[in-house]
Amino acid sequence: MSNIRLRRATAVWFLALYLLIGVPVWYKLTTIHRAPLPAEYIESLYKGNNHDVHMVIPVYIMSKTFKFPDLHDAVQLQVNHMLQNKERYVNWSLQVLPYPEDGSVDLHNEYVVILENDESPGFVIPSDGRKTILFHNLDNVLHNDLPFFVSQSLVEHTFQLEWNRLNKKYTSGVDSNRVKNMAIEYNPNVHLSISLLSGDGNPVSWEIEHVALKYLTPLRQFLSPLVNFTIDTNIIYFNDLNLHHLKNRSLLSQQDLSQTIDLSELSSANYYEEQNCLHLAIVFPSNSTGSLPFINSDKHWNSFLVPQWGTLIINDEPLPENPYLSEDYLAPVMHKFSNELLQLLGFTEDSEGLSSPVITLDSFKRLTILNNLNHSINTLWSLVKMTSNLPQMTIPIDVLTNVKDALDLRLETIEMLNNPAKQNSHEVWNDALIKSNKLVYLCEKAFFHKEMVQQMFLPQEHKVAVYLPLLGPISIVTIAGFLKIWREQDSESDDDTSTEEGASKEKMQ
Amino acid sequence: MWLTLTHGLIFLNLFKISVQLQNIDTNSFTDIENDYKYDSVESSLRYDDDRVNIGSQGYLKPIKNEVMSDLDNNKRVGLFSMEKPTKYPFKEHLELRPLPKNSLLSSFQFHLSSNEFSIDKSDRSNNQYSHYTVFPRSISPLMDNTNTRQVHLRFTHGIWDHENWGRLPHDGRKSGGSGVELWAVIEASDHNTAFDQWVKLSNMLSGLFCASINFIDSAKTTYPMSSFQPGDGEEIPLFNASNKLYLLRGALANEPVCTENMAPFIKLLPTKGRQGISTLLDGHKIFDSQWHSLSIDVTTVCESNSCHYEMEEFINVAINVPTTLARSVRPIPKPVDGSELRCDNSKHYDAWTCFPLPESIEGKYELSKIFGKYIMGSNSLSGYPTQTCVQVSDNWKALVKVDGSYFSTDNNCFDVKGEDWHDIYLETDDTTQVDPVKASPVYVTRSLTGYSQDKGGLRAVFKNPTSEPVELVYFESLPWYMNLYLSTLKIESKSGLKISDVIQSTYYLPAKDRERPTHLEYRMTIPANSTFALSYQFDKSLLKYAEYPPDANHGFEIESAVVTVISPVKYEFRTATLLLTLSTPDFSMPYNVIILTSTAMGFIFGTLFNMLVKRVVTVQEADKAMTATGLRGRFLVIKEKLVKMFKRPKPKSE
Repeated sequence: MSNIRLRRATAVWFLALYLLIGVPVWYKLTTIHRAPLPAEYIESLYKGNNHDVHMVIPVYIMSKTFKFPDLHDAVQLQVNHMLQNKERYVNWSLQVLPYPEDGSVDLHNEYVVILENDESPGFVIPSDGRKTILFHNLDNVLHNDLPFFVSQSLVEHTFQLEWNRLNKKYTSGVDSNRVKNMAIEYNPNVHLSISLLSGDGNPVSWEIEHVALKYLTPLRQFLSPLVNFTIDTNIIYFNDLNLHHLKNRSLLSQQDLSQTIDLSELSSANYYEEQNCLHLAIVFPSNSTGSLPFINSDKHWNSFLVPQWGTLIINDEPLPENPYLSEDYLAPVMHKFSNELLQLLGFTEDSEGLSSPVITLDSFKRLTILNNLNHSINTLWSLVKMTSNLPQMTIPIDVLTNVKDALDLRLETIEMLNNPAKQNSHEVWNDALIKSNKLVYLCEKAFFHKEMVQQMFLPQEHKVAVYLPLLGPISIVTIAGFLKIWREQDSESDDDTSTEEGASKEKMQ
Repeated sequence: MWLTLTHGLIFLNLFKISVQLQNIDTNSFTDIENDYKYDSVESSLRYDDDRVNIGSQGYLKPIKNEVMSDLDNNKRVGLFSMEKPTKYPFKEHLELRPLPKNSLLSSFQFHLSSNEFSIDKSDRSNNQYSHYTVFPRSISPLMDNTNTRQVHLRFTHGIWDHENWGRLPHDGRKSGGSGVELWAVIEASDHNTAFDQWVKLSNMLSGLFCASINFIDSAKTTYPMSSFQPGDGEEIPLFNASNKLYLLRGALANEPVCTENMAPFIKLLPTKGRQGISTLLDGHKIFDSQWHSLSIDVTTVCESNSCHYEMEEFINVAINVPTTLARSVRPIPKPVDGSELRCDNSKHYDAWTCFPLPESIEGKYELSKIFGKYIMGSNSLSGYPTQTCVQVSDNWKALVKVDGSYFSTDNNCFDVKGEDWHDIYLETDDTTQVDPVKASPVYVTRSLTGYSQDKGGLRAVFKNPTSEPVELVYFESLPWYMNLYLSTLKIESKSGLKISDVIQSTYYLPAKDRERPTHLEYRMTIPANSTFALSYQFDKSLLKYAEYPPDANHGFEIESAVVTVISPVKYEFRTATLLLTLSTPDFSMPYNVIILTSTAMGFIFGTLFNMLVKRVVTVQEADKAMTATGLRGRFLVIKEKLVKMFKRPKPKSE
């Protein structure tokens, strides 16, 4: 009697069940959910370096004296030539158009080059609009210098910020003092905290309400398309930021100062909702500290720019009795602060001048949009890298939705940048800026998803420890049983023959 | 060939500041009125004969205004001395009251007001600024961002001896239950928004005061109906008429109160613990007391469209004087020297034996010995000088010590003046005689009954020792894992009181598992000279595996019940917190279960598998097979041989 086939088939079935159903089911039930991120697309975006961005800025040419029907084409050629000779991070170009005679283009809101006949050539960028007024004489026209003049003044002066900062050789955030990272990370909402600190407890009053309205409100209005500020002012007593350690010091290195001054109490305040905060601190030493000889200035105060923090104004003398700080005192401080605020926001750097506030602001908007695009791609790339390096990390569906939305938004933003003529161009930059801010927000939301990090605390060993008591015996029994029955074949068949022989012998007997 | 031309003046008067985007030397400000103008713009264009780009530089140059300041160089521009100092809305007051049994109650009181602000929040324009002078800058955003109109925070710890010390300071309005207690009035359009704001508020406060207030979640939050109501005549403004006001309350029972909670309290004060009575606030002394309570109340006060915040910060502390003085003499506790022991000489007394005398009733101490510090001058910020008042009976002498000399006043209130260090000196020949304390109108104690793992009982004893009936609201918030049975409510009274005699109305909101606590409010009348106990039963729930805290065997703190006396006096106090023990599982159990079941399943599977797969043979076959192969076979062969060997010499009996 031989049932070896049946038994072997049983063992094979068990093994097949184990491998074909058991293992996949176990795997399915214990794997963590990982939403499929468009990793390849993100990688191509990251490595392609904004290959799909080609920022176009429309510029109109208007001639008051003569008519140049083909001037815009010539300027376009010249501009393209100039830009192509320079290595740029991001593709950008000007779209030179003739100014329509029906006046359908708003002179105030669009970039317009106005050609005027004059004795000698030159140009002016008025402060209150997006105009570039170019003066030329008849010789220039005869020698065909106009296209080059126009392109030169446009590219190098009107769009100076783009020209400089989108250059590959430009290193950001390094000013003439070799201070790196002066500016804070861009965020549409910034909190400004203005503090008056005194080392003593004598009551101080200051004309801050009036001064703030007079000096800070215009700045807020001006920057409002780009940054919204919330501002508070405060008087802090009994805090001289450790100035008392510098008593009687007449010489002071920058290092001494940065090591002594303790900004922790001002910096640690986290009651505001905005992510970024910049400070202006006006500090007076206490009476016991006395005057500070290292402050040598006619104004009796020196100002120090603290990278990514704000402006620190140190006064040389303690406050007088019953002190009152009037506008005369605060105005230069506010000037100084506003000036440095633009640096702290990354709006200007030491080496750059300002052609026209409106034009600079526009340029800064465009640079911010491009920065946001870069930043978001970097964030997404980090997300892709992180999830691929950590295979146990779950990827919730929310993350995928955010990533998809972000990528769609990115395309929309790029579409706006590439074809600004579709809308009123001055509105395009505002809309694109809002979109790009949202884009950054979405990317960060995807990256910092709570569940992704949480899952890391459920290690793989835990899973093994829980399942091993069940899977261990079952696996050993199934596999060892299968191997045994497989090896049994020979001896079994021998056995079978011997028993059969024995049986026949018995029969014979 | 270069041509330069100047065209037109560009006054960048779009706004004054933008002018200074150029690199202007810091020291170049001389005149602030008309300082910089761009006299002209030098705009150079190069000809392009060879089409080589050589770049252009410096086409905009600032022209320094060379007008020198006509002011004396040594005089600081714009910095004046006024005739009188500015007075800010800040007031501080210290009240000292010796309590029976050698204790001293010190009550530090600070009152602050914020600057006025407009209620019209739609005006989110660029003209909005928040100005702060003495009011802490961190509090207003907390109120604004969460639409909170009133917030009350209490950190209390220790035991207040109601029977000896009488009523709580400030009629109990400034102290909470043991641990942390928070309630707030929030303006919101609906219930859910109010709760979201509440969560935000508790999180913000948690960061501000370094406490775990953020653990107040929906399962700890109640909406009180009759307790915690604003005082008479107190109006809470509504900034948006379509909104409603919500009163929310939460507590963390027996949460430790520590120095890190007190440091933020001191930081909120403009004097920062460096001037006035706040100099006495030393964490080591405050927390080394029998009872202490830190409270903050912020309220919104409005007149038409203009509002301001008012903040009251109170720190009350009851110190046992002899212990504290001894601690300052001997910071490390060690036995008192033999010569300093107070022995009863009427009994046996020698070098080895000393029957101690009762504690001395004479008292003589200085405040600086108790708090380890002096009052360092008056606060100079407010129009009101720092004031210290001592409430004592006639057998006490209260003096203020300034510059080595002692002074006294008729009403025992001392104004702290100037920058001199002040100290308070107290002396008496009988510390048991103090300014009479006001007795508490009612006593309530609450305890847990039963010792079972799955059920228990709560019993609250009410005692009215006065000859007047007392009307009160009894508020209780119990965690969801106490399944309360209101039907089991029973009254035990020797005078035969019935439930309907004492409880006028009941508000009961049953708990929802993991969502909200049981909320119980009774409006009661306690008859004169009566004592009774209310008790009810509850079941203990089983928590989920992960819901147990790390120290599960410690038990669960149950927050105190709040008693608000309405008549004959307004008074508020809390019972002690309770410690509930729930059945605690063996936390390794799930793994044991897994292992045991797995083993059983593995065993069954193995048996089944073997039965199906292994060859089935008869015993003879098996023996045969075994004889042929294996160790056992050989053993059997040897055994057989041995048996044969032994069998051979044995003669047959037959």
